[in-house]
Amino acid sequence: MQNKPWTMKEGFLAGGGLIVAGLLMQWSIGPTAWDVFAWPVNSIALAVFTAMIAGIHLCRGKVRAFRFLSTYQAAVPAMCYVVALTIIMGLTRQEEHGRWTDNMLTFWPFVLTYVYMALIVGLAVLKGGLRLKSPGKLTAALMHLGLFITMTTATLGNADMQRVKMIAAIGEPEWRALDEKGHVRELPMKIELKRFIMETYDDGSPKRFASEIEILPKGGERLQATVDVNKPAEAEGWKIYQYGYDTEMGARSNITILELVSDPWLPYVYTGIYLMLAGGLLMMVTGARKGKEAKR
Amino acid sequence: MMVTWEHFAYFAIPALLLWAAGTYAAWRKKTVLAYAATGAGLAVFAAFILAFWMTIERPPLRTMGETRLWYSLFLPTAGLMVYSRWKYKWILSFSTLMALIFIMVNLMKPEIHSKTLMPALQSPWFAPHVIVYMFAYALLGAATVMALYLLLKKTPPTNEEYEITDNLVYVGFAFMTFGMLFGALWAKEAWGHYWGWDPKETWAAITWLSYLVYIHYRRIADHHARTALWVLLVSFALLQMCWWGINYLPSAQGTSVHTYS
Repeated sequence: MQNKPWTMKEGFLAGGGLIVAGLLMQWSIGPTAWDVFAWPVNSIALAVFTAMIAGIHLCRGKVRAFRFLSTYQAAVPAMCYVVALTIIMGLTRQEEHGRWTDNMLTFWPFVLTYVYMALIVGLAVLKGGLRLKSPGKLTAALMHLGLFITMTTATLGNADMQRVKMIAAIGEPEWRALDEKGHVRELPMKIELKRFIMETYDDGSPKRFASEIEILPKGGERLQATVDVNKPAEAEGWKIYQYGYDTEMGARSNITILELVSDPWLPYVYTGIYLMLAGGLLMMVTGARKGKEAKR
Repeated sequence: MMVTWEHFAYFAIPALLLWAAGTYAAWRKKTVLAYAATGAGLAVFAAFILAFWMTIERPPLRTMGETRLWYSLFLPTAGLMVYSRWKYKWILSFSTLMALIFIMVNLMKPEIHSKTLMPALQSPWFAPHVIVYMFAYALLGAATVMALYLLLKKTPPTNEEYEITDNLVYVGFAFMTFGMLFGALWAKEAWGHYWGWDPKETWAAITWLSYLVYIHYRRIADHHARTALWVLLVSFALLQMCWWGINYLPSAQGTSVHTYS
């Protein structure tokens, strides 16, 4: 292992080491507490992570392990570990409390393997750099950058996302909502249901349910909006979704259940997504890059 | 004219006969006939889909039987694209055979197909999301068949054959990426979040990453080509789990918004 170039074996060892480290962390400090990453911790974490990647990239001439991290031999095993752990997640029922298989998103080996993969993707961005002479290299650059941005901002931004449910009634403007933990939250606007709409097919199954609402923002002008499934309204930085209604009353429901979502990191996540879409477009048009000579 | 599943055989069987003619023409190196017959078969099959779409007054994308329709359409399309690029006389055999399998399943498992489209599926994202995925699955299916062929054939695969496989995977993967990301963009509009680790989403990520393993492994100098082909077979198995396997997974029962009949 000393003088020969590192291979996938070293990559699998590195990943395996991370799993062991993750297990030790799980047993000592417990599950990943994602809440801790609320603003400004998430921004600091992102800055530190990016700086670390830049640092590794800059020192790769001097440190062999750093050089290794931006090779395919590091990338492939990392992805294999991520696939394996995600398969376990895919085969088990995920719920809040229970064994590690039930809550993979707070299981340190799972988290560390994904972080490791993100690190390698970040390094790939820097390694590819701006030498974008061929379509293949441009595709890779777009995909790597897009994936890196999406992975980091979606994960770190999650702690700043707020999702609350509100029952709006006819004639009674409401400004309070319940969050996922059952706490009452006050919103910077009042919402009143003007009319609940429900249309059914001939066989009685729902065709459409929607709410005509009036929004009165704090210190702002009244807004009228119709909220449909798939067509949320927007006000004061919140997106308002049609969530449910009084199913016993059906079309005569005089309340509507709305879900309000605030997601400040969304523009960054979307940037990553659009970069990947561009990469996909290029990939679709140019096809494969020439593969290397293989062992037969 | 009202076209329902009862009329399916009247379109599917002529389409299959035309595709078989195209396959035979390709083997006999009659290129123009191969294009004409395969194209005609596609036109007949597409006519069914279009008429059915208009009859049920919604895109036929909701049930398993309906997604199989698109798969049966896209497989000969993908085969024709590969044929036009490399003139491999056997590729249409494979795409026709795969289309046949899915048509047979639809003929033998007549399911009750509901007319209605629930509110959650009434979105401009619905058709693009499902259609790009079906096209991706068709291309990746072709890549899998290619991988099987290369693993089983007696003579060593040529570089060109490996490159064809790569091309099928890259283009299939690009469409799969579109599918996954369209899904995320739609989810934000529909449910308030672009990614919820729903079993379908989890397995979509698994499948996506698995093909990425193939793509990156192929770029390692001195990699083992047969191992790469095995990665394709494993990836396709994971794809099946994502497509329909989760409907049968005990852990996914009742938890996925994506389970459909």
